[in-house]
Amino acid sequence: MLEIKDLHVKLADEDREILKGLTLTIPKGEVHAIMGPNGSGKSTLAYVLAGRDGYEVTSGDILWDGESILEMEPEERAAKGVFLAFQYPMEIPGVAGFTFLRTAVNAVRKARGLPELSTPDFMKFVKAKAERLNINTDMLKRPVNVGFSGGEKKRAEILQMEVLEPTLCVLDETDSGLDIDALRIVSDGVNSMRSPERAMLVITHYQRLLNHIVPDRVHVMVDGKIRKSGDASLAKELEKSGYAEYQSKAA
Amino acid sequence: MNVAVLKTKAEQALSEAFSGAAAELPGSSEIRKLRLDAMGRFGALGLPHRRVEEWKYTDLRNLVKEVLPAPAASKGVSVADIEAALGALAGLEAHRVVFVDGRYEPDLSALVANEDVSAASLATLLDNDTSAVELLDVSGRDDDAVLALNTAYAADGSVVDIAPLATLDKPVLLVFVRASETPAFVAVRNVLRVGEGAIATVIEAHVTLPKAARDFQLNAATKVIVGKGAKLGHVKVALEAGGGVHLSNWLTELGPDADYAGFHFTASTGLARNQVAVTFAGEDARIDLSGAFLAREGQHIDTTLVVDHAVPKCVSRELFKGVLEDHARGVFQGKVIVRPDAQKTDGKQMAQVLMLSPDCEFDSKPELEIYADDVVCGHGSTSADIDDDLVFYCRSRGIPEAEARALLIESFIGEALEKVEHEGLRDALGELAHNWLRRIEPARSVA
Repeated sequence: MLEIKDLHVKLADEDREILKGLTLTIPKGEVHAIMGPNGSGKSTLAYVLAGRDGYEVTSGDILWDGESILEMEPEERAAKGVFLAFQYPMEIPGVAGFTFLRTAVNAVRKARGLPELSTPDFMKFVKAKAERLNINTDMLKRPVNVGFSGGEKKRAEILQMEVLEPTLCVLDETDSGLDIDALRIVSDGVNSMRSPERAMLVITHYQRLLNHIVPDRVHVMVDGKIRKSGDASLAKELEKSGYAEYQSKAA
Repeated sequence: MNVAVLKTKAEQALSEAFSGAAAELPGSSEIRKLRLDAMGRFGALGLPHRRVEEWKYTDLRNLVKEVLPAPAASKGVSVADIEAALGALAGLEAHRVVFVDGRYEPDLSALVANEDVSAASLATLLDNDTSAVELLDVSGRDDDAVLALNTAYAADGSVVDIAPLATLDKPVLLVFVRASETPAFVAVRNVLRVGEGAIATVIEAHVTLPKAARDFQLNAATKVIVGKGAKLGHVKVALEAGGGVHLSNWLTELGPDADYAGFHFTASTGLARNQVAVTFAGEDARIDLSGAFLAREGQHIDTTLVVDHAVPKCVSRELFKGVLEDHARGVFQGKVIVRPDAQKTDGKQMAQVLMLSPDCEFDSKPELEIYADDVVCGHGSTSADIDDDLVFYCRSRGIPEAEARALLIESFIGEALEKVEHEGLRDALGELAHNWLRRIEPARSVA
C-alpha cells in the first residue's frame, strides 16, 4: 500500500511550496488517477515519489509497504518496486537499449536478492514483452530513445516498466504526445500489468487515457492538494466542467 | 632566437649522457653523425617550455626535472606476463612484435614475415643496412627538440613494411612493455611503410608489468608513409600505469588517394604528449584522427595535432574525447594549415571533454591557418559535467549512481571509439575504458 501523509514539498533552492499537505492512499491491486490543471504539482509528486534531487520535503511522509521511502536513494526505491514512467523519457546517446535494460534489470535483481539473468535468458525475457508493445529488435539495438518518435518513447518506457517488474507504478502524463493507436498499445501494456500485487498511480491532464485505463479511484489535484476524490465517473464529470470550480475554491 | 643560455639540470644531463651512450647506440658512422647533429639541435633548443607556443600548456622544462638512466637488461619476461599486461588487448588476433624496455624480443614475438608484411628491428637495420639513414632522418622538423632527442637516442624500434596491394589478414601489434624495476629512459623509433594500394591496421600498445618501477621516461616516434591509394588504421594504446612521462610523436605522410585513420587511446599515464603531424603529399587523400583520453589524480594528457593541407582536395577529420577527474589536466591543440594551393580542402575538428571535478582543467586551442579561399573548415570544443537528469533517469531504473555515471561516461567516449574500424580492437578499447572507469587494473581484468 502507498500512503502519502500530509506531504509538504518545496523546491530545494527556492522558497516556493508546491505540495501543500497532500494525503493519498493507494492499496495494492488498485489503479488511482490524479487529474489536475497545469502547475498543480502533479509532476512534482511523481518526481518526489521517485526520489529526484531538487525538492525538499518539509513535512509529512511517504510509506510504501509500510516503510518510509523519503530517505532512500532513487535506485533503492527502484529496488523496492517503485517505477516512474517519465512524461518526457530521456535520450541516452551511445547506450544501446538492450545494454540499458540489462544493466537496470540486473541491478534491480541483485538488490532484490535474485540471480542476474544471463544474456540469452535476458534477450528471451525482453523480446517477448517488446513484441507485445510493437518494439522490434532494431529499436532495442539503437541508443535509448535517441531518434524515437513520441509514441516510440512512451512504448519504450512501458517496456522498461514491464521488465523491471515494479509493484508501484507511477505514470506521469503517459498519454501526452500519443496518437490513438499508440495510446491503445500503451494502455494495453499498462492494463496487462494490473495485478493484486501492484498499485498504480496514473497522472493525467485529460480524461482520454482513463477510457483505456479505467481507474478504481480518481483524485482532483489543484494547487498542491487533493481537492476531491471519487470513482471513475469523476473523470468524465471533470471533462465537462473543467477545473475552474476547484481553482476558485483553492484561491 | 632559441638560444638557451641557461641549461636546466635535465638538459645538461641529456647532453652529458649522450656522449657516454653514443658508442652503444646502433648505426654506421653516417648515422652517428645524424645523431650527433640531432643532439646539437637539442642542445640549442633545450626542453620545450611554456613560452614555446606548441608547448604552452605542457611545460616540459618544468615538468621534467631529472633524466633517468638507460634501463638495465630485464630478464625472464614471459609471454604470459605480456598477455597479462595487455589485458583486453591480449585476445586480439595479431602479428605480435614485442619490445621489452625498448629492445626487440624475437622470442616473445609472433610475426612470421611473409610476402605481405615484415617487421624488422631498427637496431639491426641501422647496423647492417647502408640505406637505414632515412629511418632516423626527420629533416624538416628541426625545431622539435623532443624529436631531436628521439633521433639522438633511439636504440631500437620496429620497421614495418607492408607490400603494395597487400591486404593484411590481421593487425600488426607492436607491444612496448615496460619491465625495468628501476626508473629508466627509453627512446624508440618506428617506421611504418605502407605500399601502394595496401590495406592494414597497425597498433602500438604501451603496457606495464606489475613489478616495473612507477617512474619512467619514454620518447617514442613513428614515421608513417602511406602510399598511393593505401589504407592504414594506426592505433596507439598507452596504458602505462605509473607516474612517468610518455612522449609520442607521429609523423605521417600521405600519398594521393590514401586513407589514414589514426587513433590514440591514453589512460592513466602521469604525463602524456600525443603529437601527430600529418602532411598531405598527394590529392584526394583522407585522414581521420581521433582518440579518447582518460585522466585522474594529477595526470596530464596532451593531444597536439598539426595537419598540413599542402595540396588540394584532401579531407581531414578530428574527434577527440576526454574524461578528466580530480585535478587532472587535458590539453588539445589542433592546428590545420591550408596552403594557398590547397583548394577544395574539407577539414573538421572537434574536442570534447567531461570535466568531473571542479579541480580539473582542459585547455583547448584550435588553430586554423587558411590561405586558400575555396575550402570548408570547421572546429568546435565542448566541456561539461555529466547531465544530472540523465543520472537520475538511470538511477530511477535501479542503476546505482556510480554505475549510472560510468555508463554515461562510456557512452560519451563511445562516439570516439566508434572511429576504430577493427571490431575486435574497438571492443577491447571499450573494455579498457570500462575497466578504467570502474578502477579495475588492466592486469587484473584477464585474471
